Amino acid sequence: MTDARQTPDTATGRAGPVAGRPAPTSQSHRASSPGRRRSLRRPWVGLLFVAPMLLLFLAFRFLPVVGAVLLSLTDYRLSGRWDFVAVDNYTRLLQDGLFHQALVVTLTYTAVFVPLTVLLSLGTAVLLHQVVWGRGFFRGVFFLPYVTSIVLAAVIWKWIYDAQDGLINAVLGLVSIGPVDFLAESGLVLPSIAVTSAWKGFGYSMLILLAGLQAVPRSYLEAAMIDGAGTWQRFRYITLPQLRPVLFFVLVIETIGAFQVFDAMYVMTGGGPVRSSYSLVYFLYDSGFKYFDFGYASAIGLVLFAIVLVVSLVQRRLVGRDD
Amino acid sequence: MVNLLERPRAQDTAPPPRTESRPAARLTLPTLLTLTAIVTIVPFAAMVLVAFAPPSGQTFPDALDPTRFTSENFSRVLSSSDIPRWTINSLLYSLVSVVFVLLFAAMAGYAFAKKRFPGREIMFWAFLATLMVPFQATLIPSYILVSRLDWVDSYWGLIVPTLANSQSVFLLRQFISQLPDELFEAAEIDGAPEWRIFTQIVLPLIRPALATLGIFVFLWHWNDFLWPLVIGQSGEMQTLTVGLATLQTQAVPINQIMAGATITVVPSLLVFGLLQRYLTDSIAMSGLKA
Repeated sequence: MTDARQTPDTATGRAGPVAGRPAPTSQSHRASSPGRRRSLRRPWVGLLFVAPMLLLFLAFRFLPVVGAVLLSLTDYRLSGRWDFVAVDNYTRLLQDGLFHQALVVTLTYTAVFVPLTVLLSLGTAVLLHQVVWGRGFFRGVFFLPYVTSIVLAAVIWKWIYDAQDGLINAVLGLVSIGPVDFLAESGLVLPSIAVTSAWKGFGYSMLILLAGLQAVPRSYLEAAMIDGAGTWQRFRYITLPQLRPVLFFVLVIETIGAFQVFDAMYVMTGGGPVRSSYSLVYFLYDSGFKYFDFGYASAIGLVLFAIVLVVSLVQRRLVGRDD
Repeated sequence: MVNLLERPRAQDTAPPPRTESRPAARLTLPTLLTLTAIVTIVPFAAMVLVAFAPPSGQTFPDALDPTRFTSENFSRVLSSSDIPRWTINSLLYSLVSVVFVLLFAAMAGYAFAKKRFPGREIMFWAFLATLMVPFQATLIPSYILVSRLDWVDSYWGLIVPTLANSQSVFLLRQFISQLPDELFEAAEIDGAPEWRIFTQIVLPLIRPALATLGIFVFLWHWNDFLWPLVIGQSGEMQTLTVGLATLQTQAVPINQIMAGATITVVPSLLVFGLLQRYLTDSIAMSGLKA
């Protein structure tokens, strides 16, 4: 169920049967080995080993994908009765004010969350890369929130933001500001949720970026230094261009994640105030499990899939140009 | 690429050349790091402090007074909610999934890496393609399927659909294909049965990969929210993560919610404390995403 976020290998298209497998040139040599011949004689052995996972996949990954497409063309309801309605669900979506609201909320959230989390993870990665001692310790601290659940983060931060006895307002109260009701103001609610998600998740991108920074050849930086480039110039003209593919990967992973936002909103605001934190997945969840409008909810799911697919393809083209 | 065994050696990752020797510049870095670290830790610290604060009275400054720490919130939330039951559900959901995901993914990964059979390439690419589909996009058909099987509100419905995990198959296939073919061929010449080759040669050799992947699968399930929310509809079938979200919507005092939150985070912290290096290194190397 956690497959939604890709590994970098699939997202950047580096995946595939090529990696780690002997080159085709060794084919003739290997064909003569007895093990290979036995394996060729008995293809069912391989099939038997794949069988359990294959059956699980057919039933719980492929069937639901086909099901989603078919369901989205029907008005399937809780009773199990349905009629074929062609693209009615999609035309209804286009006219649905709630869908527009959910789309705007999701895009706004993404526009706040992605820069925030990328800057945070890049900043901490750069700091960690520079530090001489204590790197392991700080890396561990920054990574800590990542192993917890977004629900836990949401529960803690909901209290931190609380207008009556929340942590932030307790501090603001000391300097006689507020109270500010972060989660009840339509202008503040999305940034507040974005901060929570960024706190929970930046450790992941930080690790990816740190690995990227460590792969920047030292000789480049030394050459630039000899040429008299300052710290900022070295970062801007050497490190950043070298880091580009990794940065793109992080951008895409975080963007895809942002489009799927739900848990934090469900826990912190229930989509409010007045649906100002009502995301696409929240809309999907409500359509499915509050109104039992399964056909309509499936159409929303496919729209989400289309968005995620476009983001991945755009990234693949952008990075592909680099190679 | 997915070499989970190999760790970056410290000397390979030397920091870039340092030019600044001004004291101000040397102080900025640790100060910034320390400040960021404090901001990162404060929410956890606050959670624990509030969980141990006296149940009545103000959250602050009472929570900061160590002489008034009490475990009363814990006993209250344990008795008033279903936390023990939710913990069992979460443990079952996570541990059973870990065992079967690892077993089935290792079997499939072994076949994809070392066996020839018709349809292998197509199957593998189809497995990979499902990575592109967000889970939420198929939430409704998955739910309808589970309800047709009469598995809603049961461990079957909770666990079985989540075992179809393509990331695990992909990673283990990569790992196994790096093992030399000669190992398996020698065993086959000796006439060892296929299943014994798998359990006595393949599984021991990929133990490090299994360990790392196991941690991730555990965390995925322990922290999972949407699927258990949809499937575990009665209070009895909720997981800890869902239960915590439920506590939040009821009129439970904040001290008790934080006590509940502290309980849910213990296993994650244990995993983190024991296996932090494994986790961070494997992310840097393979991009596994929890």
